[in-house]
Amino acid sequence: MTALVEIGDVSVSAGEIVALLGGNGAGKTSLLETILGFRRGRLRLFGEDATSLSVEQRVSLGIGYVPAGRRVFGSLTVRENLEASSSLPAAERGRRADEMLALFPMLGERPQARAWLLSGGQQQMLALARALMNKPRLLLLDEPTLGLAPLVVADLLQRLSAMAAGGMAILLAEQRAGLALSVADRGLVLSRGRTVRTGTRAELAADPELADLMAGG
Amino acid sequence: MQALGRFWLVVLLLAPVVALVALPPFGQRMVTLIGIYALMGLGYQLVFGQLGALNLAQGALFGIGAYAAALAGLPVAPLAAAIPAALAAALTLRLQSHYFALATLALASLVNLVALHAESLTGGANGLAGFAAGMSRGPSLLVVVWAILIAGVVLYARLFAGTLGERARLLREAPLVAATLGIDAGRWRLVLFVLGGALAGLAGAFSAALSGVVSPEVTGFPLMVLCLSLVVLGGTRHPMGAVLGATLAVCLPELLRELQGAWLLGYAVATLAVVLWAPEGLAGLCDRWRGAGSPKPPVPGLPASLPRAAGPRRLALQQVSKRFGGVEALQDVSLSLERGEIVGLIGANGSGKTTLLNVINGLDPIDQGAILLDGRHLERLPAHAIARMGIARTFQAAMLAGDSKSANLARALARGGSLLLLDEPAAGLADEERRQLAVLLRQLRTQDYGVLIVDHDIELLSAVCDRLVCLDRGRIIAAGSPAEVRADAHVRASFLGLAEAA
Amino acid sequence: MAYALVALGFVLALNAAGAVNFAHGDLVVLGGAVAVLVGTWTGLPGILLLPLVALALGVAGVIAARVALLPLVARPVEATFVATIALAAIIEQSLNLATGGAPSTAPPLIGSGTLEVSGLVLGRQPLAIVVVGSVLVAAVWLLLERTQTGRRMRAVSADRHMARAVGIPVGRYVTLSLALAGALAGIAGLLLGHQFLVVPTQGAGHMLKAYIAVALGGWGSVPGALLGALGIGAFETFVSAGLGDAWASAALYLGVLLLLAVRPQGLFGEPAGRRA
Repeated sequence: MTALVEIGDVSVSAGEIVALLGGNGAGKTSLLETILGFRRGRLRLFGEDATSLSVEQRVSLGIGYVPAGRRVFGSLTVRENLEASSSLPAAERGRRADEMLALFPMLGERPQARAWLLSGGQQQMLALARALMNKPRLLLLDEPTLGLAPLVVADLLQRLSAMAAGGMAILLAEQRAGLALSVADRGLVLSRGRTVRTGTRAELAADPELADLMAGG
Repeated sequence: MQALGRFWLVVLLLAPVVALVALPPFGQRMVTLIGIYALMGLGYQLVFGQLGALNLAQGALFGIGAYAAALAGLPVAPLAAAIPAALAAALTLRLQSHYFALATLALASLVNLVALHAESLTGGANGLAGFAAGMSRGPSLLVVVWAILIAGVVLYARLFAGTLGERARLLREAPLVAATLGIDAGRWRLVLFVLGGALAGLAGAFSAALSGVVSPEVTGFPLMVLCLSLVVLGGTRHPMGAVLGATLAVCLPELLRELQGAWLLGYAVATLAVVLWAPEGLAGLCDRWRGAGSPKPPVPGLPASLPRAAGPRRLALQQVSKRFGGVEALQDVSLSLERGEIVGLIGANGSGKTTLLNVINGLDPIDQGAILLDGRHLERLPAHAIARMGIARTFQAAMLAGDSKSANLARALARGGSLLLLDEPAAGLADEERRQLAVLLRQLRTQDYGVLIVDHDIELLSAVCDRLVCLDRGRIIAAGSPAEVRADAHVRASFLGLAEAA
Repeated sequence: MAYALVALGFVLALNAAGAVNFAHGDLVVLGGAVAVLVGTWTGLPGILLLPLVALALGVAGVIAARVALLPLVARPVEATFVATIALAAIIEQSLNLATGGAPSTAPPLIGSGTLEVSGLVLGRQPLAIVVVGSVLVAAVWLLLERTQTGRRMRAVSADRHMARAVGIPVGRYVTLSLALAGALAGIAGLLLGHQFLVVPTQGAGHMLKAYIAVALGGWGSVPGALLGALGIGAFETFVSAGLGDAWASAALYLGVLLLLAVRPQGLFGEPAGRRA
């Protein structure tokens, strides 16, 4: 199985969910930003060296990004958020937006609402739908469960599992290890920018020091 | 910012002397005019240069001074300018930069309108002439202008080379940090605006004396642009900035007499060039060329031995709650910090740790509850007042260009006071530095400081803290000795994100 | 109506570049000057000059931003403040030198004189300005609200970092916004240049009105800026009718000062900042 992204110790292949764990300041966001191209760093994307590609170039190769804090385009409506993020021609773009609205019923209910009016959970779904507009092969998520109600968290995690089952490669950065490990196949733990643990879901879940590591020890 | 230095002092003293001795009356008038513009520029450096405030009213204040001198005599002028300056500053104290610029621009436009249209007072478009400004326009004016200018420049250099300059820099570059160090931004703005305005008014009065006529041009926007340009060209904060800029502004039109209008164009181009490529201005370039260089602002270092703490004894939060938008950032939080103890605050991302520090400092208001310092209520006090009562704070990121974490801490300690709030002091530190930090923290405790430390390094906190408090989504879920808290099931669940079953 | 165009251009440039362009008012005057130049040279009526002026000033707007705004984005706000003011002075002085300071008249849109419509006598030029202005504002609104280009421009103003992360070529849209801002300024200059003449020193006045409109309407809000501009126009006409032009301006400035003193966040704008 070829890895869709290879950077340092991290690699993710199609159909798997890799959890990127660690406390605050451990380096999770930095790693994601390096993959996207906001920070410099050597890496391979979709089998090729991507180190010199710009952010726009990498994203157009097939990356979807759900950032920490969701960062939806507040002054745009739900539908506009989706359409603005798409590089498809008009008709296809409209159809794809319709697909997303159908896939996320809580968005489909109010496509004309300004994004800044949405609740945290709705914004998270919008951020996810937005990332999916260009049919990415690699999905990067940064602490998507932060501040969400348990039901929404469960829904989100279930969708991620479904996407992976459909072939998506997913890199899930989370501070709350238990949540991430409930859907991930394997994971690694970062601390101060370095990898301090790797393992399968079972291995990590059984690790007695995991809580300490999450707290940043 | 550097002090004046002998070279520049000599230049300053020589200029009027040479003018009096060697120049014809025409040349002397030019030198007087240089002094006048430099005075206006010096005043501008206070507000624009030191505070970084986008002030567009300096030209208008110059004009008010000119009219005041024509109408009521020279000594009235600085006062006449200082009063609207004080009013404007008081009204605009809290405005953010782009609104402050607009307010000063509106004020300047208003003054200009009055000058143009209040015919009975200002002579309208024709202005005023033939008044007795109280000074003849010859050598005595030159001496007075330059005496005041030199005194002003030397004083400015002295004052701002030291702590005052540091404080101004903090206000300019990191206003939140400045507030937590006890610096009252509102008062600074008021004082500097009034002083700067008074200088402009004085300069305006001198210009009325020099030219014998006052017309609405002295309140116009082009003069404001000239003031701004001369300060930037010369060196926005450099003590000689105003003088050098003014010299260029007065000499250039003479030198380029054939290309009459073009000097203004050249001046504007030069200003743009300076902003883009030589922000330290001509004075700074001169210094660099001389090899004098500008010394880097001193980065505070940790004191060799810590003084014993003197200040408040106990900080108590009682059932503090705060909402941000629809989210409960803090819910019913009660905790205390006393001198001589180290308390650690842990929690997952988004748990409210930084918010808690911010409300203690007064950077954010609370919705419910009380914050007491030795029994006094802090909830409604502004940040700088709270800092002055003896609470110091460090922030996560480096506060100023060229700062390090220990500089942050040193600044906070230098404030005095006895209670310290540290926001992730260990982030980014290597192992050896963490050990040193632990040593320092223990020293702080020995010297009777009270420390509340937010961090993610649980090993460090366990080793150093007397007790730990754990936050989860705004609530305290555990408090006690480090060992107890680490073993607490709720705490482990919070960090692992396990089902909130327990 | 012409002021609405100026304010619209100003707020678009503000959102795109993230900083106030003090030279915006001088772009308006430059537009008028270009209209005069090309008009005298070719003898074309104003309405045909419109696209030419728009193009020329679109380019000028982009160049202005590349020189005095974009390179200074990372620096503290004083840098763009000074740079754009210097740029404004450069434009003004250049125009001064080129025209010798004498005011010139831009060609009217479709001829001067009056028109009689069901008993009312209306000036042709003011009428033409209202029509053209409204059409342009409507066109820009359509662009921003109903096209993909407009959506992407708005996304870039809302969150530049995130716009890049969804694959939007940010540089391209920033340039487009700045070109549009310049074009609007230029057209406004053409429209105003017949009745009010083209005088190099007018730049500051135009800029001040646009600044006030944006502050009144909520910093960065496009509909707010439009409302603000129309409000200023209405206010001035109203006061002017009773007390004369000078009082109208004075009342406006006083009003702004009072408003800022009482509500530091403008009429609908963002909060004034922390209580520090």
